[in-house]
Amino acid sequence: MILSTIVFLPLLFALAITLWPNERSLRSLALGFSVIEFLISLTLLQKFDPSTASLQMVEKTMWIPRFGIQYFLGIDGISLWLVLLTTFLTPIIILGSWNSIDKKIKGFHACMFILQTAMLGTFLALDAVLFYVFWELSLIPMYFIVGIWGGARRIYATVKFFIYTMAGSVLMLVAIIYMMYLTQEATGQMSASLLDFYQLKIPFIGKQFFSLQTLLFFAFSLAFAIKVPVFPVHTWLPDAHVEAPTPGSVILAGVMLKMGTYCYLRWVIPLFPEAAEYWAWLFLTLGVIGIIYGAIVAMVQPDIKKLVAYSSVSHMGYILLGLFVFNQYGITGGIYQMLNHGISTGALFLLIGMIYERTHSREISKYGGLASALPIFTIFFFIITLSSIAVPLTNGFVGEFLILMGTYQAAPIYSYFAITGVVLGAAYMLWMFKRVFFGEKGELVKDEHHPLHDLSWREITVLVPMVIMVFWMGLFPNGFLNYSKASIDHLVKNKNSYNLVIFENEKKSEVAFRGDK
Amino acid sequence: MTLNVGWKDLALISPMLVLFFTSLIPITIKVLRGQREQQPLATLIQALSGLVVALGLLIVMGVIAPGTSAFNNSLLFDSITLWMGGIALLGASAAIILMYENPSTQGEQFSELVFLTLSSCLGMMILVSAVDLLTVFIGLEMMSLSLYLMIGMSHEQKLSKEAAFKYFILGSFASAIFLFGMAYIFGTTGTTNILNFIQQASTLVQTNTLFLFGITFVIIGFCFKVSIAPFHAWTPDVYQGAPTPHSAYMATAIKTVSFAAFLRLIATKSLVGSENLFDVLQWLAVITMLVGNVAAILQNNLKRMLAYSSIAHSGYILVGLITAGVSEDGVFGASSVIFYLLSYSLMTMGAFAIVSIMEKNENSSIMVDDLAGFAKNRPVLALCFSAFMLSLAGLPPFLGFFSKFYLFNAAIGEGLIWLAIWGVINSVISVYYYLRPLVVMYMREGDAEIAPRSLTATTVTLVVSAIFVLVLGVVSGPFLSAVEKSFL
Repeated sequence: MILSTIVFLPLLFALAITLWPNERSLRSLALGFSVIEFLISLTLLQKFDPSTASLQMVEKTMWIPRFGIQYFLGIDGISLWLVLLTTFLTPIIILGSWNSIDKKIKGFHACMFILQTAMLGTFLALDAVLFYVFWELSLIPMYFIVGIWGGARRIYATVKFFIYTMAGSVLMLVAIIYMMYLTQEATGQMSASLLDFYQLKIPFIGKQFFSLQTLLFFAFSLAFAIKVPVFPVHTWLPDAHVEAPTPGSVILAGVMLKMGTYCYLRWVIPLFPEAAEYWAWLFLTLGVIGIIYGAIVAMVQPDIKKLVAYSSVSHMGYILLGLFVFNQYGITGGIYQMLNHGISTGALFLLIGMIYERTHSREISKYGGLASALPIFTIFFFIITLSSIAVPLTNGFVGEFLILMGTYQAAPIYSYFAITGVVLGAAYMLWMFKRVFFGEKGELVKDEHHPLHDLSWREITVLVPMVIMVFWMGLFPNGFLNYSKASIDHLVKNKNSYNLVIFENEKKSEVAFRGDK
Repeated sequence: MTLNVGWKDLALISPMLVLFFTSLIPITIKVLRGQREQQPLATLIQALSGLVVALGLLIVMGVIAPGTSAFNNSLLFDSITLWMGGIALLGASAAIILMYENPSTQGEQFSELVFLTLSSCLGMMILVSAVDLLTVFIGLEMMSLSLYLMIGMSHEQKLSKEAAFKYFILGSFASAIFLFGMAYIFGTTGTTNILNFIQQASTLVQTNTLFLFGITFVIIGFCFKVSIAPFHAWTPDVYQGAPTPHSAYMATAIKTVSFAAFLRLIATKSLVGSENLFDVLQWLAVITMLVGNVAAILQNNLKRMLAYSSIAHSGYILVGLITAGVSEDGVFGASSVIFYLLSYSLMTMGAFAIVSIMEKNENSSIMVDDLAGFAKNRPVLALCFSAFMLSLAGLPPFLGFFSKFYLFNAAIGEGLIWLAIWGVINSVISVYYYLRPLVVMYMREGDAEIAPRSLTATTVTLVVSAIFVLVLGVVSGPFLSAVEKSFL
């Protein structure tokens, strides 16, 4: 029941928040709830058996028997860390939002918890229809978060976000239904379970776009590519990021983008291995274009938040690269980079939110010399900057290094181009850092009527866990990677005949126990 | 031909008899009281109890005697009758509750209004059970004639009269076309009973051009009633001009029963043989979805927007109808249509109830922008409205998603993948205008004015539909299976 608890507890919290009569204690209550959720999710680490690639803690009941749709949750090495990332970021976001969200507090926290349920459900669902429900559900609270608490152009941004993402996913729904009929043809029993989908042998004809596997592959890929976002369909992201309130940006960059890349690993690559291999060049190219394009565009942004938003496009390009080289290093690096990006970009957005609360501006040109005015803030910002540009000892280095190694092994030509992204990444981040923190004091910094205050204890509390994670993940990556290793090995080795089994350990031990009696 | 009318027939039509006698109660009382209205609440209670008893009897008949026919095979009491009749009666009850409190229908002449509503319900009950085209026609006319009058009776002076007249003229044209087609069918097959020509329909459409003509005309008549493009032009004007409860009534109950009769005709497998008719209907479905959704984007009047949305939904339902028409037994297609109509009725009824709550007097017309500040003033209602809109857009976990899922599932199962793709693309287009009220309600400052009176009954109807929209989707599996089983 642990997975159901983790998925649906936030929904219960959302309900409790809505019914809570006292406005003033609401924030602390929400924080408490999210910490409880995080602690519960930590027990996953203890229960999780890293030695096996099979699905663990599975919950499976029939939901709609007519179509073989199940309520089917399970966790493995690929989804484990993303679940923990989600539960880890939520309390930080809630604590970080105490200043930036000043109206309709109740609605905000309710949205936040519903969003958490949707995201966790997406990571844990193993039934196509259940997955789709969670996947689409995540749009609704995000839509409200950007639209109600966002900046000046929030309505444009949120509607664009919603329609873009929905347009991508509806074709996936058709594909899911089609695959349900394929299972019926294959086994005589309609099913929407991912495990039954894995068993399907979908005919693939290379060099032909209108063949079944290719079409299904693209129907799924489009949905995920928009979410990631992959280069030509990324345009919703800068708008949504810039207009979203700080907590919205953090959750968007930190977790929601990962839903896209995670689904490539969970759905696209194992379900359509031949098509994925055949079309890998396309995704590798788009990934590389995303890396370089995102970096170059980020460089010229006058707005810090937009800069970080484009840097996301660049970083997500790396992840895509890692996934589509299909080797151990690449996929490991991809998964690690998902977590890194969640932490470092999430922290960057939090930091930008903090300075925005003080000056109400994100224009780089209005800053300068911030280092002498806000020393503590500067230290935090610098550490996170280093993590974002993947300096050794920080988490970013591990992920990027693994991805580049994997790419070099499989397709060296892409790694030559991708490596320029590393340099460009350093360039735009450090240049931005120089302009904001050093040099002559900008108009906002020297304004004597409104002296800037350095970080409060609350803000430091928000940032410290992120910084700890930056170094922890940078110095001891094995502690994290060991949990995913078995699953990644399994995926890489059996890509073309991928299958997952349900971990039976608990039942066996039960039997053994009875035997003892 | 000898007519054998026995007690069995009377028992089977007992829901209709109940409706007929109940419809007489309020006006009789009014006459006996010397042309003075009785308490509207009393009228409401009489009407609702009549509808509830009729619904109960309908269910009892559906359980005791499934699949029996009455009056020399002109009425058939099967699952379509049971489910669609049930949906229509529920829709009518909700609409009457709305009428009781809406400024353009309440008070004066309420007993006449209830009489007309129940008469049109009687027409609806005939329509859902009719298998003889002539009986279909009687049901259709009885339903529509009462409706023309109901719309014209509105306290609003201008638009409603125009709407009633427009509806009347165009409706009469459609009826004429319908009758014309029926004549052809009678001429070629010698019968107007669907059950009699059902066996030969698929060969006749291929061999006999006159029969094809006939069936096409009949289909056009239905297309008008359920507002399939290009026969939809009356819908926005009539929905906008009619009092809001009547629009709700048309969008839910009337549409459901019209689709029921349409379904009976299409499920004759007349589509199986005829490539052309099949193609044309598919294109009609696509065009309807597109016209409805694209035009709805341009609307500022909330009721007009809902009217176009209802056109778009007719397109989706037509996809289901086509599925039922081409498949071997048509059960899954028909069940998905029934489920879709139920969910669509719940959502649309709720949305119109919101409009009804916002109307301050009989002349007010609610624009989308008037919703600004609604979330602040009426948080619960705003939440319900959001649920209706998101559900109409087909987003999970609301009911609308599941009904679309079943519908497209049926279509894909019959190989109509391209129709399903058109359907989902249209869902995306529709998101834009379904989100607009949400944008205005939650994201814009304003001070939405709500009717100062307390509208308890309307609010209750609204909240109940909202709860169903939220919950029924997740537990829809057993429901759909029950609908499907009832066909076997």
